Amino acid sequence: MDTNRWLVILLCAVGTFLIRALPLVWTRRHLARQAKGTTNTLPTWLGLLGPLMIAAMFGVSLVPVRQDWVGITATLAGCATTLISWYRSRTLGKPVFMGVVVFGLVTFGLTHLH
Amino acid sequence: MNNPTSATTLSPWLQGMRDAMPLLGGYIPVAISFGLIATQANFSVWEATAISALIYAGASQFLMVAMLASGASTWLVVVMTLLINARHVVYAPNLTPLLPPGRRWIVLMHGLTDQVFALAHNRLPQIPMATRQGWYSGAALLAWASWVLGTTLGAVAGASLTQQWPLLGEVMPFALPALFLVLIAPRFTSPLWFIVLGITIGTALLLAVLQFTNAAIPVAAAAGALAYYALMALNQKAGAQHGH
Repeated sequence: MDTNRWLVILLCAVGTFLIRALPLVWTRRHLARQAKGTTNTLPTWLGLLGPLMIAAMFGVSLVPVRQDWVGITATLAGCATTLISWYRSRTLGKPVFMGVVVFGLVTFGLTHLH
Repeated sequence: MNNPTSATTLSPWLQGMRDAMPLLGGYIPVAISFGLIATQANFSVWEATAISALIYAGASQFLMVAMLASGASTWLVVVMTLLINARHVVYAPNLTPLLPPGRRWIVLMHGLTDQVFALAHNRLPQIPMATRQGWYSGAALLAWASWVLGTTLGAVAGASLTQQWPLLGEVMPFALPALFLVLIAPRFTSPLWFIVLGITIGTALLLAVLQFTNAAIPVAAAAGALAYYALMALNQKAGAQHGH
């Protein structure tokens, strides 16, 4: 067993957990202090960051595993299908499933056509 | 967005797991890749699994394994890993107003990955306060378990799996952009949000294509926030001039 390797794993695990958990404690204290006053809100910029982080994750995840015309075409077709399916059903699971199916079919079809 | 599961009689845990199912398409192939890469870098199956179970943060795990394998110093590896994970610092504050009181939430924050945050931020407001902890626990546990088990599978049999089903590794990860698209679609509510979200998505995509994947999320979100405040200021200025 490599002790140094396990030390790194444990330090990274503790550090990552603190990065995730400590802001919860701080924000709860902040909200509790505000509750004693008149308002119970977070700064506007912090609330703004939530949807923006999700939009950024979408942008990053759009880069396909296969970065050629097959990957780009399949990504566009998958996104269009997901969006249409979401617009019609307004659900979570079905649009994702439909998007993956179309992405897979386009990838498979174009790969074999080529 | 409407509530896709409120009409069912599923327990909050199962409801959370059902909502988190789309995450598996993205998690399992990447976890298998991580398990495979870790064992190729001379990590044991146990070490690879422990990294996924304890750190549970995709991009930083790949970097950590690569740096340790290349003989980088302990502190450099720790600092770089934590820097990549620093973006998680804004997730809990965004969820806190949605969470009922309770000490268990501190432990549950271990499961707060990018994807679980995106899902929880979207779904928690639609769920009754009393069942939110159960919903989050189910969703986070399924995501965590798929990541850990996927890593073990990749460490044990990753090479033969990727040889047998090469297309599966290309197709399944599309579940993540599809899920993010569904989560972000209801936010396109006004021209302002169209522009702001468009700038954010475009910036993130560009940075990811240019291989700045780790910086892409915080930088793109900051660009979107700047655009939001710039447009709001312009709007107010135009409103004030119109008023005169």
